Amino acid sequence: MSTVAVSNAKRQKIVKRRIGNFLIVFFALVYLIPLYIAVSNSFKDYWDVIKSPLSLPTAPTMENYKEAFHSSNILSLYGTSILITVTSVALLVLITSTAAYIIIRRNNKLCKLLYGFALIGIMVPPVVTLVPSIKTLSMLGLMYTPWGLLMFYGGAYFSTTIFLYTGFINSIPVTLDESAYIDGANTFTVFFRIIFPLLKPCTATAVILMGMWIWNDFLNPMYILGSTAGKTITLGIYNSIGAYTSKWNLVFANVVLASFPIVILYLCMQKQFMTGLTAGAVKG
Amino acid sequence: MKHNKLQDVLLVLPGYLVYTVFMIIPLGLCFFYSFTNWDGISKNYKMIGFRNFERLFQDASFFNALKVTLIITVITVLIYNVLGVLLAVVLNRKNRVCAFAKSAIFVPTVLSSVVVAFIWSYIMQTDGGVINTILGIFGIPPVDFYDSPTHTIVMISIIISWNGLGLFLVIYMATLNTIPPELMEAAEVDGANSVQRFFKITLPLMMPGITINSVLSLAGGLKQYDHVKVITGGGPGGATQTITLLSVEKAFSYNRRGYSSAIILVLFILIVIVSVIQISITKKREVEY
Repeated sequence: MSTVAVSNAKRQKIVKRRIGNFLIVFFALVYLIPLYIAVSNSFKDYWDVIKSPLSLPTAPTMENYKEAFHSSNILSLYGTSILITVTSVALLVLITSTAAYIIIRRNNKLCKLLYGFALIGIMVPPVVTLVPSIKTLSMLGLMYTPWGLLMFYGGAYFSTTIFLYTGFINSIPVTLDESAYIDGANTFTVFFRIIFPLLKPCTATAVILMGMWIWNDFLNPMYILGSTAGKTITLGIYNSIGAYTSKWNLVFANVVLASFPIVILYLCMQKQFMTGLTAGAVKG
Repeated sequence: MKHNKLQDVLLVLPGYLVYTVFMIIPLGLCFFYSFTNWDGISKNYKMIGFRNFERLFQDASFFNALKVTLIITVITVLIYNVLGVLLAVVLNRKNRVCAFAKSAIFVPTVLSSVVVAFIWSYIMQTDGGVINTILGIFGIPPVDFYDSPTHTIVMISIIISWNGLGLFLVIYMATLNTIPPELMEAAEVDGANSVQRFFKITLPLMMPGITINSVLSLAGGLKQYDHVKVITGGGPGGATQTITLLSVEKAFSYNRRGYSSAIILVLFILIVIVSVIQISITKKREVEY
């Protein structure tokens, strides 16, 4: 009797788990439908998209990609986006990690003041400073240049990034740098040789978070770069798709071309993305 | 211990210089402009006191934008946090099914909002859109997502949530990982069922994650621009404009920079107030273990 009851309970548990797994996979697949729509329709011609939007392409064509590649000048869009994202993230990491180190370690009145001052910007969304930045950037001759956008991001995300670093540096034992100072190392050496390598998880968080925000940003490049200083991929796609209106086959080819590298990057570095996003942010 | 003062200054100064010039000064200018009638072009403008704010509180388009922004914020915050917590708990197992679902939900997070908005504006078309094609298969008449602004805004909020859910899920799953498994085992031994364990143990211990996520989602919702800009452009007739959209339009299409600054300042103050209230509520609920 009892063995039957046990195996029944066990079987019930297995069935329950199977149903659970099935529901999870089903949910995940439904979640991906919009991406399937975009990719599959990018290989169809105009009428195929209208007639059978849900099916796989019957006669896959690369024509949409050829046209999108030429008319949108995708490579130059990528160049601008990569230049702006890489320089902005590098600038942010460099200026905030160094400042955060001194502020946390020196721990005097001035540093406490500087810490409070740094946090003013944490709740300021970039759009607040966009309109006045046009004035300040013009005065410095940086308006309508990639450098202007770079400095804008440096200001806009300074608070968030330094907040990540100060929290993380606090958790590194002071004895570590003190022994290096006793050995005669100077502040630069201690920071760049000893502390900065230890900040890697936090730097990963900062790089991924800021990288994603800056790469995907739309509003700020639209006004700061204007129409002369090149376009980021997000902006370029917006402009070229706006011209197609209802030629969805071309729209989807553009969409896929714009997203493909970042999705590949994500799929290759999934672990780093997931752990990186949270390592510096959540106590573990 | 004596430290080289010069090196300290060299390490601190560049960051604070960038921050002051490109954040603090523009922030101050935003306050300043909101009390002027500056048009963005002419050299001459004058202080007009609180007139921008008086005008703002008589401006029907501002109140409409406020309503739209609040609807988007409430819906996205609810989806991000309720669905985020639930999915994190469900997917918190080490097997291939959960790993797959987690990656699937995260993919849209790396896409740009413009790309996402284009894909969904195709999906939600009234004629030939995917949603209506699928409904048609089951004999359900087509839904017009553009028949009322509220309809459109609700749909856009769902699209925004689809786009951003992954980030919130990952943060919640990381918070879950910080809960010691012994706590769960002890509760199970004491006879707590799974619902009790969720509300008495999991949820209270997830509070740090809830604090981070609700601040992120609230600020994100209140400053929404991209998805609405691509899907409706704020139309018809400004009916789906968010506060950010309204202020950008006033600044760049109408060259009313002073008035635009006043709108943005109200948004900023709103974000600060909501975040402070929100942090004080969730911080109080954080528990030590």
